[in-house]
Amino acid sequence: MINASIAALGLSLAVSAAQTAVVPQGKASTRAETGSAASSKSSFEQLSRSADKARAENRDDEAVRLYEQALNLRPGWKEGLWYLSTILYEKEKYANARDRLRCFVSQDPSAGPGWALLGMSEFQTREYSRSLDHLQHAMALGMGGRKEMAQSVFYFVAVLLTRFEQYSESTNMMIAMIKSGQQPDLLVEPLGLAALRMPLLPTEIPGDRRELIRMAGQGALALEAQRQEEAQRLFSGMVAAYPNEPGVHFLYGAFLLDVRPEDGVAEMKRELQVSPFHVPARLRLAEEYVKEERLDEALPLVQEAVKIEPGYAAAHMMMGEVLVAKGDTAGGIRELETAEKNAPQMVRTHWDLLRAYTAAGRSYDATREKEEIEKLNRPGAAQ
Amino acid sequence: MLMAVPLLALFFTANPALQQTPQNSFDKIVKDAEVARTADRVPDAIELYSEGVRLRPSWSEGWWSLGSLLYDQDRFPEAQAAFKRFAAIATNPGPAYAFLGLCEYETREYDQALKHFQAWGSKGSPGNDALIDVAGFHWALLLTREGRFPEALYLLAGKAQKLGRSPALVEAMGLASLRMTNLPEDYPQERRDLVWLAGQAAFYSAVHEHDREEEYANKLLIHYSWEPNVHYFRGTLLGFQKERAEAAKEYQQELQLSPQHVPAMVELALVQIDDFNAAEATPLAERAVALDSRNSRAQFALGRALLETDRFQESADHLEIAKRLAPDSAPIRFGLAKAYRALGRTKEAERESAAFLSLKAKDEVLAPTQQKNGNREQAGPPK
Repeated sequence: MINASIAALGLSLAVSAAQTAVVPQGKASTRAETGSAASSKSSFEQLSRSADKARAENRDDEAVRLYEQALNLRPGWKEGLWYLSTILYEKEKYANARDRLRCFVSQDPSAGPGWALLGMSEFQTREYSRSLDHLQHAMALGMGGRKEMAQSVFYFVAVLLTRFEQYSESTNMMIAMIKSGQQPDLLVEPLGLAALRMPLLPTEIPGDRRELIRMAGQGALALEAQRQEEAQRLFSGMVAAYPNEPGVHFLYGAFLLDVRPEDGVAEMKRELQVSPFHVPARLRLAEEYVKEERLDEALPLVQEAVKIEPGYAAAHMMMGEVLVAKGDTAGGIRELETAEKNAPQMVRTHWDLLRAYTAAGRSYDATREKEEIEKLNRPGAAQ
Repeated sequence: MLMAVPLLALFFTANPALQQTPQNSFDKIVKDAEVARTADRVPDAIELYSEGVRLRPSWSEGWWSLGSLLYDQDRFPEAQAAFKRFAAIATNPGPAYAFLGLCEYETREYDQALKHFQAWGSKGSPGNDALIDVAGFHWALLLTREGRFPEALYLLAGKAQKLGRSPALVEAMGLASLRMTNLPEDYPQERRDLVWLAGQAAFYSAVHEHDREEEYANKLLIHYSWEPNVHYFRGTLLGFQKERAEAAKEYQQELQLSPQHVPAMVELALVQIDDFNAAEATPLAERAVALDSRNSRAQFALGRALLETDRFQESADHLEIAKRLAPDSAPIRFGLAKAYRALGRTKEAERESAAFLSLKAKDEVLAPTQQKNGNREQAGPPK
C-alpha cells in the first residue's frame, strides 16, 4: 500500500499564497477588540512565528505544541491548521491530522490538497467511505500540479472503489494510471482484486488467495499491454490452479471472447456454475450471443441479470440492446432509458439510444443523445 | 457512514423566547446567520451562530443550527458540544440525542454514544428518515461492539429490508453474525473477507433471497470452516429456513470447535426440544445456563426442556428468570403460561397468555423472533 510521506507529496509547499493570505474574520469582525484581545493578538503572532520557525528547523514536536497553542487563540488560522496537519500526518497521528484538516477544509473548501490529505488521513483511520468521498472531491478540485500527491490520491481512490464494489470504475482508473506512467508493479494486487470482483483492499487479502489475486492482476496487466501470449498463459494457469474460485472463469472467458469466442462462451458458462448469480458473466455471454445473432439465447440471460441486480445500469443497457435487436424498439428504448437514468455517464447507452430513437423516428431525442455523447467525449468529462 | 443526514430539514420547534429578545445586535446576528446559512456560506454561518449563542446561551435554535452545521462539516467534537447545549435547554430534544450519539461515535466515546442512542430510542426515535437510518445503523454497530448481537441484527435486518444492499450494511451484518465485538473501523484486516462473506449471507437471509444466501454461506464454509462462529452462524441461517436437522449438525460442529459456545448449545437444545428430545436437550441447556446464567435464551431453553420433561416448578423458575432478562419476548411468556397452567396457577397462566398475545401482535418480524431474545436489560431498538 502507498503510505506517501509528506516530503514525497510535496505538501510543505501546498498552501498557496491565496490560501495563506486571508484569515477568516469571524469573531474579530463581530466583537470590539478589547485590551485582552489585543494582548492575545500579540501572543498569537509570537506563537505563530515560533511555530513556523520550529517547523522550518524540523523541531516537529515543538512545532506541534506551538501551532496548537496558536490555534487555541485563533482556531480559524488556516496556515496553522495546514502546517500542523501535515506534521501530524507525517508523524502518523492520522486521527489528529484528520480533525485539524476537517477544520482546514471547512475554512477553505476549495483547497484540493486539503481534501486530499484529509482523505488520506481517513484512509489510515479506516473511515473508508468518507475517505473515498474526500479523495474524489480532491480529484475534482485538482491538486495544483502536485504529481506525487495526485498519484497517491488516484491509488487510494482506485483501491477504495474496489472495496466499495465499483470494480469497473476502479479498473478504468488503474488503466488510466498506467497509461499516465504509474509503475504497474504497484497495481498488480489492486487490479487482481478488481478483476476478480473481490471487495478487499490489498492489505485485506487472505493469505490463501494472494497468489490467485496476483495471477489475475498480472494477467490483466499483460492484457492491457497487449501481451496476449503472456495473458493467455497467466489466465489459463489461474483457471487450472483455482477452478472453483469465483471470478476466475469470467476473467479468462472475457479474455477468450476476444480471441476464441467459442472457448470464451464455455468459460462464461463455467463461471455461472461456480457463481450462479454472476451478472457480468451473463451480460458478456448475452453480448456475444447478440454478436452471433443468437437473440433467443441472449434474452433470458439479460432478463435474469436485470432480475438479480435491478439497479445495475449495464444490465438494463444490455437488455435494451437485445430487445432492439429483436425488433422491440419501444421495449428496448424503455430499458435503455432506465440504464441512462441509473448511469448517465455511460457513453454506450447514449449511442444505443441515439440509434434506437433514430429508428423510431424520434429525431429530437436522437439529437439530444448526440449532444450528450459529444459532451461526455470532451476531454476532462467524467467517464 | 451510511449516508449524510440533511440536518436542517429536520423538524424544529422555534424557541418562543427568541422573539422576545430586545437586543438589536443579537437580532442582527440571528438574521445574518440565517442569511449565511441559506447562502451556503458555512464558515460565516458557523461564526455567526457561535457569536449568537455566546450572546444568548438560551438560544436553542442557535445551538441546533450550529451543531447541524458543524456536524455536516464532520467537526464532531464541536458539533457534540453544541448538541449537548441544545439538549439541555430544548423543550423537544429528541433528535438531538441521535446526533449526540452520532457525534460521540465519531469521537470514540462509544459508551456515551450508546446511552444517547438508547435515550433517542426511548423517545420513539424521532427524526426524518435519513436520521433514523443513519442513527439506527450506528446504534446497531455499537450494540455489536457490546456483544448484543441479536439486537444489532434485528436493527440491521430492518435496514436491509428498507434500504437494500450496501457495502457498509453488509460489513455491519457480517460482524454481528460472526459475533465479533468490533466496529468496522477496528477489526483485523485479514478478517475482511470472512466478514464480507458472512455479511452477504446475512443480508440475503434478511431479504429472503435464500439461493444467494446459500451461495455465500457455502463460500464461507469453503474458506473458513475452522473459524469460530462460522458453523453457528450457518446453523442459524438453516434454522430460519426450518431446516432443523441440518442446523443441528452445524451447531454440533461449532461445539466441536468451540466447546464453550453457549449460543450453539442453546440453539441445539431448542432444536432437540422441537424434535421431542427434551431429555437430551436438558443437560445441554443446563450447561449453557451454568456458563452464562444471564443469557435469557439459555434460561428459556432450559425452562422449555424442563417443561417438556414434566419438571414444571423448575421450568417456571427458569422461565421467570428468562422473563426478567427479556421481558419483551413472546415465546418466553408462552412457555411461562404453559408452566403455570401445568402447576395449576391459572390466573398467572392467563396473565402470561395475554402478555404473549400482546407481544406477538406487536412483533414486527424483521428478524426471526429467536434473534430478538437477547439480553434486554436496557431499552431496546425502535420499532
